[in-house]
Amino acid sequence: MNEYRCLFCRGPRDVPLRFRTLLAPVHPPGLCRLCLEKMAPIDRKACCLVCGRDLRQLKLEFIRHNICNDCMRWKKSGRGRLFGRNRSIFSYNKMMKEMMTAFKFRGDALLAEAFRKDFRDAYRQMIGIDPKGLWNRMRRGRWLFPNERYVVVPIPLTRERFIKRGFNQSAVLAELLGEPIIEALSRAGSQKKQSKKNRRERLLPGRNPFALNPRAASAIAGRRVLLIDDIYTTGATLRLACDTLEAAGPDRVDALTLAHG
Amino acid sequence: MLLSGKNGIQSAFDEELQHFLYGKECLLDELPFSRELIKKHVRLGMITLRLGVETIEKGIVPIQIGSKKWVCRRCGNTDPGEFGTVSCSQCRKRCVYCRHCLNMGVVRSCSRLATWSGPEPIREERPWRDAKRICTWEGTLSDQQKMAADRLDQSLSSGQSFLIWAVCGSGKTEIVFPAVEHALRRGERVVLATPRTDVVRELYPRFQNAFPKVPVSALHAGSENQVPDAPLVISTAHQLIRFSHYFDRVFIDEVDAFPYHFDPMLEYAVRKAAKEGAPFAFLTATPPPNLKNAYLSGRLNGVKIARRFHGHPLPEPKAWWIGNWKKSMKQGIVPQSFMKWVKQKSSHQVQLFIFVSSVSLLRELTELLQREGLGHVAGVHAEDPDRHAKVAFFREGKIRILVTTTILERGVTVPGAEAAVFGADDPIFNESALVQIAGRVGRSERRPNGEVILFHNGRTLEMVRAQRHIKQMNEEGGL
Ligand SMILES: [Zn+2]
Ligand SMILES: [Zn+2]
Ligand SMILES: [Zn+2]
Ligand SMILES: [Zn+2]
Repeated sequence: MNEYRCLFCRGPRDVPLRFRTLLAPVHPPGLCRLCLEKMAPIDRKACCLVCGRDLRQLKLEFIRHNICNDCMRWKKSGRGRLFGRNRSIFSYNKMMKEMMTAFKFRGDALLAEAFRKDFRDAYRQMIGIDPKGLWNRMRRGRWLFPNERYVVVPIPLTRERFIKRGFNQSAVLAELLGEPIIEALSRAGSQKKQSKKNRRERLLPGRNPFALNPRAASAIAGRRVLLIDDIYTTGATLRLACDTLEAAGPDRVDALTLAHG
Repeated sequence: MLLSGKNGIQSAFDEELQHFLYGKECLLDELPFSRELIKKHVRLGMITLRLGVETIEKGIVPIQIGSKKWVCRRCGNTDPGEFGTVSCSQCRKRCVYCRHCLNMGVVRSCSRLATWSGPEPIREERPWRDAKRICTWEGTLSDQQKMAADRLDQSLSSGQSFLIWAVCGSGKTEIVFPAVEHALRRGERVVLATPRTDVVRELYPRFQNAFPKVPVSALHAGSENQVPDAPLVISTAHQLIRFSHYFDRVFIDEVDAFPYHFDPMLEYAVRKAAKEGAPFAFLTATPPPNLKNAYLSGRLNGVKIARRFHGHPLPEPKAWWIGNWKKSMKQGIVPQSFMKWVKQKSSHQVQLFIFVSSVSLLRELTELLQREGLGHVAGVHAEDPDRHAKVAFFREGKIRILVTTTILERGVTVPGAEAAVFGADDPIFNESALVQIAGRVGRSERRPNGEVILFHNGRTLEMVRAQRHIKQMNEEGGL
């Protein structure tokens, strides 16, 4: 059966014969042990409280109170004021790069299935309905009141890229959460090339490529928004998206990304 | 846009488009022509379109939940695990795509595949066809090779497929030269297909040298030697997916080369690339059951060559029991009798191929052998980026023991090298793989002998079959 083959390398998966897997009509598709070993999952107890990067891979002098240097610089910059935090599932290592190439550029959207569970688990932690979150709330006597659910907004592609690629990888990842998805943003086409700008234009901060979809504004007002993207690199994209959403008046904006790096 | 043809008559089609698409099958979106031009040709019936991915309805109950079956019309894939669905930007719906041929651009259920159904283009002048000899290979064929070559050509020229069942090291490539020459003289398009990129790389210069005046194309992933309209094409079966009803004669080399056997997509690609009724020539040391049965029952013409070119027998593999090798490898111990054999061979300066079933086992075994103080041990597998360098070192004798998961280039004839299969009871080592492994040994005229040992934990039927196969070949070769 196919679920016994690795989604990525097609090798055998050694699905353990447990009572649960025996009863399941189909075993969820996933990766084999060898491929999994090459991934670098980020421990949520050892990641930057803002950008979600793996702090164990960072020298101590670049960390203060579990926040990395980059994030402190972002704070000072005043951009992305409503941006709360990002959570990433994996560090962007060689294996992740290969998977991204297959997923995004070769167009193998099915690979997202390999991360369904991780993605959902991370989401549950963020809204506090994972077992531990539940326990914490019970202790505080607030167990009936989990955090409010998020409005899930995938980072869009430009129209040209969307048509060419055939799908939006962030939307595919957002679909994994099983929550309604709000296409609240659109993304404008290519900006003027740096070389074609005059000096004044060059010194200005980059134009924000995102625009707010007015029909989605009411769904966002006063709510917590969760941006979904494939990768957190510098954090600039997510903060630009966050600034654009600000006009609709969300309560705060967090992000969930597959990879960090 | 109407273009005038060569003789002044208005032809109702675009010649550039005709040349581009003739004999090929392309995604509609890939065609570098305007939408209007393509639409016009579709209306004229010069371009035929079909859906990229379709449902196949199984049996009487059409589509039950969960039993939907798909087929990719480009690569022939029907494996349910090799399809995915995605919210598609083209059709704005959930769309099925084929994962099997993604590296050639994605085919979706809303994609259209285009083929040329108008007249055949006029071909360029081919002055080399009138030369007395198109093939200028200077070597000579043995009597047995010559007989096989003649029968092959006769059969193909009369439109009949042919099997050349020849032991490893019998000089198969030279046998096809006369048949290729004949086809080229008749103005046919010839393709030599193989599952392996290595083989394309190795055969391309040999065919270029043998047919110096003929344009030859070599097609494999990342190849640069593509000549448009070349009458002779050396290609991986994979690359043939782009063709449709194009070749008049098809030669398939190493149909079942280990570890590439049983990819139905390759067969689909080769069949699609051939014109209807085109004859096939199959060249193999170990024919798969369907070909073997067809040959033995007389439905398929063919010839068996049981002797190697140097006239010595194939080494018969011996089976040695080494107990539970999986368990001992987990404990980091190399089974003793295997270690003893390796050490003994090393002390006699014998170079060794050690075949294993998986990349992880390859890494473990290589490391353990290196730790045993056996210098110059390297592991190489199909996707190893340093593969070519390692093989070159092995050929030069700098690497003494090569642990590998795959049969290396056919050109790897290291005089005096011997072979072992570590864990020969793994199902990946079927009869044909084991026969081909034995064929790696004793290939040089100077050192035609050598050992092939199958180290196992329980003799398998496939091992017995391989031993029987080689024994029988040697008997038939009068040895
Ligand atoms: Zn895998
Ligand atoms: Zn940070
Ligand atoms: Zn396909
Ligand atoms: Zn579609």
